[in-house]
Amino acid sequence: MYNLELQNNLITTSVYGSAIALILIGLYAVLVKKNLIKIVIGLSIIDAGIHLLFVAIGYIKGFTAPIFSPGSENLANKMVDPVPQALVLTAIVIGFATTAVALSLVIRLYKHHNTARIDQIKSLKW
Amino acid sequence: MVISPVHYIAVPLLAAFLIPLLSKFIHKELARIVPGIVFLYSIFISITLMLQIGDKGIISEVIAGWQAPWGINLVFSPFSGFLASLMSIIGFLIWLYSYNFKKIDKEQSQKYHILQMMMVTGAIGIVLTGDIFNLFVFMEITAITAYSLTSFYRERDGAEAGFKYLLIGSFASVLILLAIMILYTQLGTLNMAEIAQKSHLIPTSLKTTIIVLFLVGFGIEAEMFPLNGWAPDAYSQSPGPIGAAFAGIVVKAGVYALVRVIFTLFDIHGAYDFLIYGGLITMIIAETSALAQTNLKRMLAYSSIGQMGFVLMAFGIGTHQAIVGALFLMFNHAIIKSLLFMSGSYLTYNSLTKQISALSGLGKKLPLVSILFGIGAFAIVGLPPFSGFWSKLYVLSAAADKNMLLLIMTILAVSIVEIIYYFRVVSTLYYGKQNPEIEIQKPSINAMVSMIALGITILVVGVYPDVITNLLENAATALTDKATYIQSVLTQNLPIN
Repeated sequence: MYNLELQNNLITTSVYGSAIALILIGLYAVLVKKNLIKIVIGLSIIDAGIHLLFVAIGYIKGFTAPIFSPGSENLANKMVDPVPQALVLTAIVIGFATTAVALSLVIRLYKHHNTARIDQIKSLKW
Repeated sequence: MVISPVHYIAVPLLAAFLIPLLSKFIHKELARIVPGIVFLYSIFISITLMLQIGDKGIISEVIAGWQAPWGINLVFSPFSGFLASLMSIIGFLIWLYSYNFKKIDKEQSQKYHILQMMMVTGAIGIVLTGDIFNLFVFMEITAITAYSLTSFYRERDGAEAGFKYLLIGSFASVLILLAIMILYTQLGTLNMAEIAQKSHLIPTSLKTTIIVLFLVGFGIEAEMFPLNGWAPDAYSQSPGPIGAAFAGIVVKAGVYALVRVIFTLFDIHGAYDFLIYGGLITMIIAETSALAQTNLKRMLAYSSIGQMGFVLMAFGIGTHQAIVGALFLMFNHAIIKSLLFMSGSYLTYNSLTKQISALSGLGKKLPLVSILFGIGAFAIVGLPPFSGFWSKLYVLSAAADKNMLLLIMTILAVSIVEIIYYFRVVSTLYYGKQNPEIEIQKPSINAMVSMIALGITILVVGVYPDVITNLLENAATALTDKATYIQSVLTQNLPIN
């Protein structure tokens, strides 16, 4: 069980801060930008922020990577939590797939409407 | 051979990889046939396992030998098993219906059938998994296939509807991921049974944050107001059978996730009230919007949102009878709305705009399809000889037991709205003036078989509801009995064979 308040040094704070900043920047891009490509980029930035936050919560100061290799068999209680790292790997793959689908839809929209601006595509009610 | 819940997921995944190879090197037609065989196999697993849990209780299957709190496990309880079986059967019928659906065959049918199979697999995975992160992964599998199927037709505005769905869906996935992350920092576990066991350790403020994030995230998939902006466009721009799949399978998985979070994971007061109010508002707004639609598919989409609101509200009442009613509603909605989408897309086959006026007078030209559409319309508003009547009766009497008079009045008022807009379509179908220019499309035999199967189910369940109530009672008991769920997941350390 890792408590956010306990990891109070400068590095972790900056990691958390930049993760939240990334999420906010991405949110800004998705909500404000009109260009479809920029919106997709915004989605990717949000994803990156979440992934960074995920890795950060599993980190314990001074602990090593959770890999059992020759010479580190006895370090099991000196390793950072491996679960968030495994989850992030999965989440990255999912984010990749979503981005790929999103970009292909943008291409289709561009061919269909001859524009990539979201405020000029209004065949359906937004 | 040992039948286990893993086959629900492993077999379709394997088939999805093999289909492109098989169709390239052996025969092109295999790309369309293999998904059907996979669905038949899923139905076979469902029947076998449903018979098994009759005497064994809950089957908890561990994957790759990691025991329950650490590894991923699949839980086949009467509740999740019921939904998984329903999804397999609807998935098979949709495959059968779309086998020769002409517009799908014009495009590359190989892609369509693989995507449809993966969408059903994702939904079944959501229902079966016992791990909260795994649930997120399956939700993304369902969502990504749903985005691509929404934008399947190039000549429609599918890409726009798909992109809209994708934006809202990615937002949902971000929220769910955040909720899982906060949950993990608090409890250090992802297993749903263990979370349920320990959830009282989380401070209330964080618990509220987690539950709100989950509710909004899953509420998007479950079409809860005001998170359902994607639904009408996605239903109306996707191929007809996919509309049926959204209503019958994808949305059911979203509702399952919501209900699982509220009933099993957290025991927080007020969440039930939230379901009641959320469901009520969703129902009122969606049904009144449906009244204003001139496009048949959009009307069906709004009606589907309204029905989901009804289901959520019934779950919110929370008594055993209400949960039975809610599950009955889910079952009914899956079969009836699939039938409506299937028959509706043959009735508007050659109409580009899918207006209700295009149906005018088709009752004489396509008699059987029109009768099936009529059966669906009568069943969904809840007229007595059809199955929709019983589910409404269950929910109403459960609400009456709790003295929720306002709720009953609203349900009945909304039913009148429902009757008005469905009967408007049926009367256009039979009494409208025939338009000689409209070219009709005779349905293929397999589509007919699948629609008639659904129609007969509606009639049979309507006359003898006892064929299904036993299953529903067991499922409702399994949902509310949290202790048994936790115990059978965490202590059943031997894999069952």
